Amino acid sequence: MPKVLVIVPFPMDADNLDKRRAQMKSVRLGPDIAFDFKPVAIAPANYVSAQDALLADIGILEAGAAAQADGYDAVCIDTVSDSGMNALRSMLDIPVIGPGRHAMLAALMLGEKFSVVCMWDRWRPLYTKTLAELGLEHKCASIRSADLQPNNQELLGGREDEVFPVLVEVALRCVDEDRADVIVLGSTTMHEAHAYMAERLPVPVINPGPLSYRLADAAIRLRLSHSKTTYPTPLTPRPGPIAAMGAAARSVKSQAR
Amino acid sequence: MPRILVINPFPLDEAGVARRAAQSGHVALDPGTELVYRPVRFSSVSFMSPHDWLLMDLGVYEAGLTAEQEGFDAVVIDTMSDSGMAALRSVLSIPVIGPGKASMLYALTLGARFSVLAQWKPALPRYRKVIRDYGFDRQCASVRSFDVEPDFVNLTEGKEDRTFPIMLEVAMRCVEEDGADVICLGSTTMHQAAEYLAERLPVPLVNPGPLSYKLAETFLAAGLSHSRKAYAAPLVRRDELVHDIVAAASGAGT
Repeated sequence: MPKVLVIVPFPMDADNLDKRRAQMKSVRLGPDIAFDFKPVAIAPANYVSAQDALLADIGILEAGAAAQADGYDAVCIDTVSDSGMNALRSMLDIPVIGPGRHAMLAALMLGEKFSVVCMWDRWRPLYTKTLAELGLEHKCASIRSADLQPNNQELLGGREDEVFPVLVEVALRCVDEDRADVIVLGSTTMHEAHAYMAERLPVPVINPGPLSYRLADAAIRLRLSHSKTTYPTPLTPRPGPIAAMGAAARSVKSQAR
Repeated sequence: MPRILVINPFPLDEAGVARRAAQSGHVALDPGTELVYRPVRFSSVSFMSPHDWLLMDLGVYEAGLTAEQEGFDAVVIDTMSDSGMAALRSVLSIPVIGPGKASMLYALTLGARFSVLAQWKPALPRYRKVIRDYGFDRQCASVRSFDVEPDFVNLTEGKEDRTFPIMLEVAMRCVEEDGADVICLGSTTMHQAAEYLAERLPVPLVNPGPLSYKLAETFLAAGLSHSRKAYAAPLVRRDELVHDIVAAASGAGT
């Protein structure tokens, strides 16, 4: 049975990991495929600066570097930033799915232009980076935020009444004012709002995490993985030092800092 | 239990449809997925001029416009030209997947730039037009043809030894000279060459037909369909007129 590793981009306890795992309920998956959720050891506190982006890349690389050796058939990265994807793709032959680019490209299969709706404006660089990598800036109608600081552990729990209507309002502005044909949720942490938004918006709303799981399944069945000319294999991989960084971060001392 | 209507863009007989249906052998589909192949009643004979493109649009549209009423869950169009896709999306709420634009977008999930492997030289202008229309000029490394006249009925059958190595050679030029990170087969009629090429190329090869089946399953599984904002519905549907003119055309000889 194919096995997929889902890398969760923050260290977290079992309860909060379950909130991430709940994304699987939003998509019908194949009958014979298993998903293991694994939190990273190395992570920034949030994703709002170049320091954070660097640490996120390192943390996700560390968490996924051994995925192929461990018998996984694909890796999903549970963040729309696609952090760590490029480096992991260079080390691994199995498909590595970044929900950010996959959600944007899937959006373009459903309409001409999409908007990204996110929680706060400080996430904007996450999307402009992927748009620049894809060279598809002209397909993005807008990036709008609800201007509400997210909680990457509790997600939206307990804040539904405060957050959900604002997200719908922001998404409607993307459709009415910016002419978006499709809405892409700007974070996998927003998955709890997806059903509420999809019911109330006149355009498709893409829930990037669940879509990425299904696309991992599709890549496995199609026997397709990323191109090694875009993601060249390193001449000298450094798996030892990468694993050592993870071990260091897992030590109590490092966690306390 | 998704039932997917696959529209073949030429009025094929049973054997012709079977050759197209063999595409499903390239990919493991969900256990409940059912593919129903339906050839158009009318189409163009060749596919290399705006005249041909327009007639095929009409033929595919007519073959699919009742799909939702018939109980299908999705429609797949069996041609890289996405013929009829926009019109079908304007009248249907179920997902309508054309492998053309979708396989280029899918290629960009795998690498930075793609090349399209086209059948023969007369096919090139249309690929260049759609890539420009889609706004993918920067992502397209090249469109190259292997210069063998297409056979829409027999596909590459019986011509493997002669055709496959030429296809490989041209695809390699896309990689080495044009910098393609991914190769898109330029036609669903090339599916018989997919395994041969994929085994020998240093980059991923996108086989558009099987991909389109998988994408239909994916969108159904995620509860997604095309945007009504991008594909506005007609104020007045003229289904009867469409059926009538296609019936007249299909009975009219050349």
